[in-house]
Amino acid sequence: MRDILKSNYHWVTLFTLVILVGLVDMNFWNIESLLILMGDIVPLFIMALGLTFAIYIGGIDLSAQSMANMITVIASLYLATLGLWIVPVCFLVGVILGGISGLITTRFLVPSFISTLAIGGVCYSLAQWLSGNRALYMNSESRDALFGWMLSSTGIVPNTIFVGAFVFVIALLIERRSSLGRQLKAVGSAELAASASGLLVPRVKVLAFALSGGLAALAGVIFSIKLSGGAPSIANGFLLPAIVAVLVGGTPLTGGVGGVVNTLVGTMIVAVIRSSMLYLEVAATHQQMVFGIVLIIAIVFTIDRSKLSIVK
Amino acid sequence: MLEFKNVSKEFGPVKALSNINFKVDKGEIVGLVGENGAGKSTLMKIIFGAYQADSGTIFIDGRQTRFTSPRDAMSQGIGMVFQEQSLIGNLSVMENLFLGREQEFRRFGLIDFKKMAEASRAQLAKVGLDIDPTIETSKLSFSQRQLIELAKVLTLEERISGDLVILLDEPTSVLSEDEVGLLFEIVNKLKTRAAFIFVSHRLDEVISLSDRIYVLKDGEVVDEVKGNKAKASNIQASMVGREINTEYYRQDQRLPFDKEAAPLLSVQNASVAKKFEDISFDLHAGQVLCLVGTEGAGREAIVRTLFGMHSLDRGAITFFDKPSLKITSPHAAVSNHIGYMPRERKIEGIFASMNIAENMTSSQLGAYSRYGLLKKADELKLAASWIDKLSIKTPSASTDCIRLSGGNQQKVVLAKWRSTGSRIIMLDHPTRGLDIGAKEDVYTMIREMSAAGIGLIVIPDTFEEAIGLGHNITVVKDGRAVKNFNCMQEQVTPFDLVSAMT
Amino acid sequence: MPIIVLIALVVFFTSLNPNFMSLRNFARIAIAASPFLMVAIGVTFIIIMGSIDLSMEGGVALSAVIFCFAFLFFGGTLASGGWVAIIAALGFGAAYGALNGFIHAKLLIPSFMSSLAMGFVGIGATVLLTGGGIVRIDDDVFRMLLTYRFQGFPLMVYVAVFFLIVGILIQKKTILGRNLYAIGGAEDLARASGVPVLKTRILAFSLAGFYYALAGVLQVAKLGQAESVTGANLMFLSITAAVVGGVALWGAIGGVVNALIGVLIVTVINNGMVVIGLPDYIQDGVLGLLVIAAVILSTNRSAVKFVK
Repeated sequence: MRDILKSNYHWVTLFTLVILVGLVDMNFWNIESLLILMGDIVPLFIMALGLTFAIYIGGIDLSAQSMANMITVIASLYLATLGLWIVPVCFLVGVILGGISGLITTRFLVPSFISTLAIGGVCYSLAQWLSGNRALYMNSESRDALFGWMLSSTGIVPNTIFVGAFVFVIALLIERRSSLGRQLKAVGSAELAASASGLLVPRVKVLAFALSGGLAALAGVIFSIKLSGGAPSIANGFLLPAIVAVLVGGTPLTGGVGGVVNTLVGTMIVAVIRSSMLYLEVAATHQQMVFGIVLIIAIVFTIDRSKLSIVK
Repeated sequence: MLEFKNVSKEFGPVKALSNINFKVDKGEIVGLVGENGAGKSTLMKIIFGAYQADSGTIFIDGRQTRFTSPRDAMSQGIGMVFQEQSLIGNLSVMENLFLGREQEFRRFGLIDFKKMAEASRAQLAKVGLDIDPTIETSKLSFSQRQLIELAKVLTLEERISGDLVILLDEPTSVLSEDEVGLLFEIVNKLKTRAAFIFVSHRLDEVISLSDRIYVLKDGEVVDEVKGNKAKASNIQASMVGREINTEYYRQDQRLPFDKEAAPLLSVQNASVAKKFEDISFDLHAGQVLCLVGTEGAGREAIVRTLFGMHSLDRGAITFFDKPSLKITSPHAAVSNHIGYMPRERKIEGIFASMNIAENMTSSQLGAYSRYGLLKKADELKLAASWIDKLSIKTPSASTDCIRLSGGNQQKVVLAKWRSTGSRIIMLDHPTRGLDIGAKEDVYTMIREMSAAGIGLIVIPDTFEEAIGLGHNITVVKDGRAVKNFNCMQEQVTPFDLVSAMT
Repeated sequence: MPIIVLIALVVFFTSLNPNFMSLRNFARIAIAASPFLMVAIGVTFIIIMGSIDLSMEGGVALSAVIFCFAFLFFGGTLASGGWVAIIAALGFGAAYGALNGFIHAKLLIPSFMSSLAMGFVGIGATVLLTGGGIVRIDDDVFRMLLTYRFQGFPLMVYVAVFFLIVGILIQKKTILGRNLYAIGGAEDLARASGVPVLKTRILAFSLAGFYYALAGVLQVAKLGQAESVTGANLMFLSITAAVVGGVALWGAIGGVVNALIGVLIVTVINNGMVVIGLPDYIQDGVLGLLVIAAVILSTNRSAVKFVK
């Protein structure tokens, strides 16, 4: 029983929160507003999905936010010329830059928080350069024609939820059903054993960072479509809740356990905390502090200390 | 001055030490010898306070005491010179000597380095070292660092009121002959200041230095000899203990193999700098080769080199009679049907948070996926068949390996390599930490693999395992193969192995 | 090696624009470098022991805001008692750092994560205190740190130099400083020798927090105001500076002087780009590449087993 509770504590947390907040304000249990809440958080969710892969192998991707920033700029600039191709192009840019972070980490043994921080700097710089350091607006005609559907709803379900669900299913497929997913799990749970089983550990790690970069880029695309524009710092404030979503969901910094389902739950927890702050009339300015504290608590509870001989 | 009476220590069901009686007198050098696993290191850890005894009493100068931690033992006069040097390379010699005690040199909140250097010179003089104490420690030679380590322990003299007992753990293992001579000279000189406990696997050195020698076997003191009366052969005999017959080893269950066929593996004069030198042997299908030696003799490095984890400096390794085949990474080894079961099962062997099926296919994902997607049904089928074949005790094939016993985890690792179709399998301490029944299972599996024509290299836990399993035994000492035994032609005894090793 | 890079950069920019090599420009570089140097020194203490601190943006902003509020509370001028605010801000910085160190060392959380979270908390608290706005300080006496010049350099540069020397002294001559190197060199051995690892770690983070608060106060002196973005981009810049200056991320190599050289390299690049007329937004990209190059060059790869 205790084991079951322990391995499902992210669900327990989520339901407790929903019930608690609902008790305080019954309006919270309104399906329609809950769905809108979920629709709004889709870009964050997709970024968190990407981060899941980086954290799953015991790394971190601090470039996710800068990546999304840069992609909003690229998407705004080239939507009219590229049309629907903008999505694969942006995804590819993310994959390549993420892959470079991974290569730097594996090839030159630079810790991932530094390599991704540096690549984040490069992204930020590129975004400023491409945008001329100002806010950009999308060609509204192309946006409405190509992606207008994303902003409307099917019945009471916002269409972005379908986008999020689609990406989620793909990520779940990668994690559960693909050879790559298995290799990620092996590297995350015991890197030395993975190497002794003949797995190409560096390649697996590079792919994890590439996936993280690609999904951060996708988050950027969707975010810029929602806002109909982009700017070099428009997605600032994404990184913290995205990391919180992964860790609160139960994928610990030490890697090997957890996964994309956990991140789904973690993202919902983040959404509930966020909106409950609205319902409970906690000012929006408190959010970052609250999330910082939640992050610390989440790490304290999820980290597998037996995997760390010396904590640096 | 230091005395142990009836000291015992258990780890779960395993008795590591039972009723040890042991004493060191003032100005005495006491040798401590015993095979791997005889209890030497446990005893040492109790002496310097890293472990606490379960029962028995410890006396210092007749006064009953206990050591709650290494620091506590230190404050009562027990100093430890570690085999793995405990000096921090990027600090200066004097900082290392007084690490953790800098407040003795504090003036107005700052460290008075002049005073520290002066104090250091006095300490270094004790061990006859004339070097600048402000030099960075990593710039010194190994033997110099060892003397500094000794000097660091000797700083205890000024801090405690009683006498010192200093443990020397394998201090000579990486020293040249001249350096060993110098060390012994210094230790002999220091006898007026401290008593020494000298632990080494080099019997001749223990005999020449010690006043008295304790021989440990299976956690008990089996012999105590005066240094001047000690004879290597007698000590070796008591280290090994009882003579045992063929039946005990189950040598009769060993199958013959075809020596005439081309070998699966041929190693010629292989060397890897600082790890091993000039190693040569052949391994045929069905043959079991055991590598015997002390810890750090180079056995693990040999096996890891064959698995592509170290690159060869000199010599040649030919796999499957194909000189063009070079194994330069574990990935290459696995794709060429070579398997390896590392010693550290929990870190390198098993994926604890993955299930049995996932563990088994981890080395053969190519065969269990199509277009990048896994064939999960096939995985489970494979796992089920091996669970049956090796009678792995588990609720199901999708049970996480963390829930299995050590023996069953070991079976999973073996099943992984066998199902991958490995033709050469290397096993490093395959029975380590297993209970008797699980050990028997591992022996049976090794014999089955031999019967199936797999070439096996085993680093055994005990001599009995080596004799019982091996067609050939190679004794590795200081990175060299010092002796080869052909167990099919001669009856090898543990005594033979010990004599070659020490 | 880093010092050669610094000299080469100075020569390079001077050859493109002779005005680079002038007292006025050097003073400009020194002003830009002063708060930044304090942050880099702070994080250097942490990197020496093989950890990392990513909380500086929060630490600097929060200390700066607390300083401003305290300064206004004590009458809004240095003469009326505003100097107490300096002590309050520095004391707060040390406490903030100590909490950061406690969460990392006592709760056994890898420092990059605990400090990142603490940084977020710091910025969040700043937003909370300021309501997202700006706090201004208008005291001519306090602003003399920027406006009063001695030998061509404003007072704040001398303050920075003073605390640079203090930093060097702490690193070289105090038990805390030396223990940082012992922990960075081999934490298990240091512990076995009786170095109080937990205490040292918490103290080191506290010291770093103190230096971040110093940077906060100097930022206010420079800009006359504080807000939640007062520390913006300092995380990336200060770590870049330390690493480029020769402080190894693995610990135990380099020190405060290396941080100084790194800060000068980064500031000279920033300043030089402006002087030769390049847009300033290229800097982050250039620095990103620079930090990777520096880490790659400084890593002894044979000594690292595997990396996350």
